Amino acid sequence: MATISRRQLLGAGGALGAMALLSACGSTDPGGSDDAITIWNNLADAQQNDYFRKHFAEGYRGKYPVRFSPKADSTIDRLIQTALAAGSGPSVIATPGPSSFVSSYWSAGYLADLGPYMRHYGWTDKFAPWALSASQVDGKLVTLPASYETMVFYWNPATLHKLGLAPPKTLEEFENFCSEAKGKGHVPLSAGNADYKGANEWFVGLGLNHGAGPEAVHSALRGETKWTDPVFVDAIDRLASYFKKGWFGGGVDLYFTNNFPTIYQHLASGKAAGMLSGTWDFSNLGSYFGKAAGNDATWDWTTVPSLGKSVPQTVWDLAIGQSIGINTNFRDTAAAADYLNFLTTDLKTIIAGVERMNFEPPPIHISATDFSTKADPRIVRLYSQLSAAKSIGYTTWTFFPQQTETYMIDYFENVITGRLSAKAYCEGIESRFSRERAEGRVPAAPKPGGGLS
Amino acid sequence: MTIPESTAAAGAGPDVSRIPDPHRPGVLARLRDRRVSGWLFLLPLIAFNLFVVLVPSTFSVWYSFTDWTGISSKAKFIGLENYRNLFRDPEFVQGLEHNVLWTLFFLIVPMAMGLFGAYALSRIRRFRLLFRTLYFIPYIVASVVNASIWRSILDPQNGLGDLLHINPLGDQHLALWSVEFVNNWAWWGFLVVVFLAAMQGVNPSLYEAATMDGAGATRQFFAVTLPAIRPTFAFLGLMTIIWSFLAFDYVYILTQGGPAGSTDLLSTVAYRNAFSNLQGGYASATGIVMALISGVVVTVYLVIRKTREWET
Repeated sequence: MATISRRQLLGAGGALGAMALLSACGSTDPGGSDDAITIWNNLADAQQNDYFRKHFAEGYRGKYPVRFSPKADSTIDRLIQTALAAGSGPSVIATPGPSSFVSSYWSAGYLADLGPYMRHYGWTDKFAPWALSASQVDGKLVTLPASYETMVFYWNPATLHKLGLAPPKTLEEFENFCSEAKGKGHVPLSAGNADYKGANEWFVGLGLNHGAGPEAVHSALRGETKWTDPVFVDAIDRLASYFKKGWFGGGVDLYFTNNFPTIYQHLASGKAAGMLSGTWDFSNLGSYFGKAAGNDATWDWTTVPSLGKSVPQTVWDLAIGQSIGINTNFRDTAAAADYLNFLTTDLKTIIAGVERMNFEPPPIHISATDFSTKADPRIVRLYSQLSAAKSIGYTTWTFFPQQTETYMIDYFENVITGRLSAKAYCEGIESRFSRERAEGRVPAAPKPGGGLS
Repeated sequence: MTIPESTAAAGAGPDVSRIPDPHRPGVLARLRDRRVSGWLFLLPLIAFNLFVVLVPSTFSVWYSFTDWTGISSKAKFIGLENYRNLFRDPEFVQGLEHNVLWTLFFLIVPMAMGLFGAYALSRIRRFRLLFRTLYFIPYIVASVVNASIWRSILDPQNGLGDLLHINPLGDQHLALWSVEFVNNWAWWGFLVVVFLAAMQGVNPSLYEAATMDGAGATRQFFAVTLPAIRPTFAFLGLMTIIWSFLAFDYVYILTQGGPAGSTDLLSTVAYRNAFSNLQGGYASATGIVMALISGVVVTVYLVIRKTREWET
């Protein structure tokens, strides 16, 4: 009878164990599923998740059923990155705009080329050209813009009436507005980044687009002007001075600890006179105003005031809030493209989502007549005005490359805490931007006066 | 054991090569051997460790010498460039400084609290279990829950911060200490329990002798208790240093490394480089440096333990 040595026994056992582990951990279906299109999304709450599942996943009638998996806002990007690196992930890959990860995913071969489907579905006619242009990498369409947004000035009419103030339009009006509100014991602008550090870039973007002006930003994005130009340094310096005066959130240290509920409560309760934020907050404010919150407070919005002397009064900061592409591991790209087309161009489903859930629509052609009579007039006004916009600005999460964007978020805190000068901050932007621009990682930006369509 | 009849009758004699050696056990018997069965029980663990520790660690070392993005399968070898860049990177240097401060804090404050807490508990008979449980509860509560509770408590507008007119997590000069305070709140109770267990193993006759010699409680603590639990003390000190360089959760939940990087640790810097900047190779180099620091500490501890002949 043959005998095995202890060494052989150990070796065989180890190999078996390793094989078992590898089998257990390995994925037989890297695309997530062979018989369904899978999508992960980060929505505001359970109600939005249920609505998305019912109308945007189960409501789709295509070759494959769609399986929706809700993810937390704070983790979805990490989950997708990890899953993709492991050769898995959902069939539909979502990113927070073209700046974030799209270029890297494309370079790594995770995103399918959507070019072949552009003509088939007539996307060039359906989407705003700037949005399709910003969704290209190396001249190829690799994602579709799933939602778009802009920055606005929010205000509580009752508070401003009490303070005898009106929403500001010019730099002078803005500074007077903040000075007076602060003088009367109010927080001029409700703001904070305790829940989301990325909030820093909203304000940096405002400082650049409304302080230096969209012409200057566009020129810098094209590499024609350096970010160290005095026009940017002055704009950042001026913005930082507003923070240091306590106009944003009540003070620099409070800005770091104000979370979203506090921010919205300050606006609803009248503690804050106004708020500079994105249109994504349309869906968040509902819980703090009116019947749902047990008060009679209301909110309204208007365009962001000019923060520079020679900057137009109305500048619409363009932003793609979410980009979606197809995982190359999903075997049927054509079927996934059909679902992408449904998600981004099915006007009836999209408008219903905007009206009922305050979802942000994709940058497709939407007019006031597309909405029902039940629609919130503030929403109808937003998308009607956006469609007719002629002066546009450039948000960092749509038109700036990844590492530059991360730097702008992280180091702006050093500027407002006095650890870094505006000049040094702009030098940091320039060094990262010039490197990423040379690597071809800057998304395409439309001309500032070109309008949205 | 008998010889088959047919073989014996043929007069050919038995084939000795086929006769089992009564002194050599069979496979089953060998499996029953305690040493072999011990290895068999260890096999799944060894295989698991190979898979989840050794393989990723090896990859991590390799990636630290490359320009890997963290998501792509492609990685170009760039030698020591990541390591050279680390020590020129102000974020890394700042994170390292904060890690050193963090380590010093946890080597001093919770260790002292744990020691004195355990000593106090060891000298009472009633409610000892109750206190031990109360001290231990924060340790078993999830860090995300602890951190969220403390974020509310320290709130500068509705919490303790308002009362004290400070903003513990928003003030860049206070934030690191505040995060350490919160983490310590969850940690020191664990030390109390471990130290108490060690103290209960001290020979009571030593205390009796000390009492007869006129030593008071303080004198007994320093002359009897502390020397007697020295191996436990040293071991927890070692683990504190290792864990301090791995700290991440409380910082990430409470401040995300802010304000202005004032609470950044090496772990949060590595996390940001890996997931926000997509510099997986660079983040791996940070991780390797963290592991090397821990390795040096462990080596020093083992050398001391051997030379001083400490028992664990």
